[in-house]
Amino acid sequence: MTQAAVLARRRERLPFSHDERRAWLFLAPVATTLLVVAVFPIVYSLYISFWSIKLTRPHRQPFVGLDNYAQLLADPEFWHAVGRTTSFTVMAVTAICVIGLAVALLLNETFPGRKALQALLLVPWAIPYVANGLMWKWIYDSSYGALNGLLFQLDFIDKYMVWLGDANKTLPLIANAFVWKEVPLAALLLLVTLKSIPADLYAAARVDGAGALQRFLHVTLPALRPGFMLVIIYETMTAIRHFDLFFILTEGGPGDASHVLSWRIYVETFRNLSFGTGAAMSYILAIVTFALAYGVIRALGRNVR
Amino acid sequence: MSAAGPAGATGHVAGERHRRLRIAALWIASLIFVGYVTAPLVWLVSSSFQSEREITSKPPHWIPHEPTVQNFAAIFAAPKKDVTYETRRAADPASGGFIPSTAANLLPAMANSLIVAISVVILNLLVAIPAAYALAKIRFRGRDASIYAILTTRVIPDIALVVPFFLFIRNLGLLDTLASLIITYLAVTVPFSVFILTNYFEGLPDELDKAARVDGCSRLQTLLHVYVPLSLPAIVAVILFAFLASWNEFLLALMFTQTPNSQTLPIIVASFTSDFTISFSFINAAGVLAIIPPVLIALLFERYLVSGLTAGAVKG
Repeated sequence: MTQAAVLARRRERLPFSHDERRAWLFLAPVATTLLVVAVFPIVYSLYISFWSIKLTRPHRQPFVGLDNYAQLLADPEFWHAVGRTTSFTVMAVTAICVIGLAVALLLNETFPGRKALQALLLVPWAIPYVANGLMWKWIYDSSYGALNGLLFQLDFIDKYMVWLGDANKTLPLIANAFVWKEVPLAALLLLVTLKSIPADLYAAARVDGAGALQRFLHVTLPALRPGFMLVIIYETMTAIRHFDLFFILTEGGPGDASHVLSWRIYVETFRNLSFGTGAAMSYILAIVTFALAYGVIRALGRNVR
Repeated sequence: MSAAGPAGATGHVAGERHRRLRIAALWIASLIFVGYVTAPLVWLVSSSFQSEREITSKPPHWIPHEPTVQNFAAIFAAPKKDVTYETRRAADPASGGFIPSTAANLLPAMANSLIVAISVVILNLLVAIPAAYALAKIRFRGRDASIYAILTTRVIPDIALVVPFFLFIRNLGLLDTLASLIITYLAVTVPFSVFILTNYFEGLPDELDKAARVDGCSRLQTLLHVYVPLSLPAIVAVILFAFLASWNEFLLALMFTQTPNSQTLPIIVASFTSDFTISFSFINAAGVLAIIPPVLIALLFERYLVSGLTAGAVKG
């Protein structure tokens, strides 16, 4: 009998007993943590959303069932916030896809300095949203900002303009700050997808006489589909719940021009101290996110297995 | 060259022209890319070295004409002064104008951020490594369901956790403590840590387990002596992601912290931005301090971060 065969038999005899129990023992810390910090809060949040809890009125907190939800759905302000969240998300995700694709195509080429560019790419991704927010707030500043300065020096404008304070420009400008920070992740996800395209496909297309543009349209773009799906779903989830930039850049203003859902949740909960409606609103947001995430989780779960 | 004949020569010239065009195109694209990424940051850094007088020039001085470190000096050598309503309203003339006396809060806030981030990193490792091992290497009923459950918690929007967390933390009496942040940040970081590690462990051969078993190792010993040393890249990635997420987190910290005792760097920095009496050159200096650690991490550990970010993106 060879040594390998002996080992194989020894292995078979070694019982993997208690494994079921061992597995749960190993999972216990994570399970406990997530039960406390994720599952419990999200269930508790549902519970809160059925009550009228106002910290301004601590002793009377009646059960109101679905009233909080009914009130929200009947409130035109809520739908305006949904509309603003949607337009912010659509603008941001579209720009992220376009710029992310351009960056990914650049980094997919081989040239000296490519590695340095890829390291640089991670910088916007890594910095805090608060720093990103103050950076753009200063760039957009209507009196001394860089945007005014640059456009003025280039003669695009004859006098300094109001940027964030202009209700029509607020959302696109906040979206621009958001895009700058989110492009790196999108570009990386598209880049790995690009790298996974077999070279044979390009060779075959070349043999068939396809030019560069045709190869891009008929080989690259279709092959990028899974990467784009991931980017679109992930960035949509991130954009509809985004809060930090709205806080730093505009605090919902001017007027209510940047009153998106997440900002309304904050105002309702921590300024109006109406926890019941705040919880109901955040629950609606959570359900939408879950619906979107379902696709991602399916994909990621499949990969782990 | 001329001996190659007309056809060969033109072919070569065309090839050469094509190559040059490609290089030129790549150069231009790279320049645009570098400009897009760095221009806002360079402007942030440049204006943090300007005085209030210089920062308000029109058009802006792209490069400071009279660079000054007064903003940073105010942060690192902030004189102890009482903040009264009057000194605040008067834009703190005592401190040279437009630099808030609250500048002294920045360094303690940075320390708070560090304590929170390091604690979150350690807890992440303790909790995620055994879980990832079980998910990757032990066959048991409920394994797939566990993976889905953990991934699901990853997508809960933090804003949906804010209301219940606030009541929960308040009832525990933990408002305005670092503990409240450390606990709640686990919700935002642990699922991703488990995901990265599970992914990595999956890629290691099952034979490792069996060999260790033959040598008489228990499951725990196998994990500690075989898997952990082999998984350093994934562990480094987990450390970096948990650190960055905690260092950058804003929303939860905004809700749970109230005084400089527990306020983290993003909260203090944000508090400057909403005060119109504070010079933007000073705010930018605070911003520069907040981005130094993440920028260093991004540049030094790019490889680990990229592998973590793209884990599982294409394998399916």
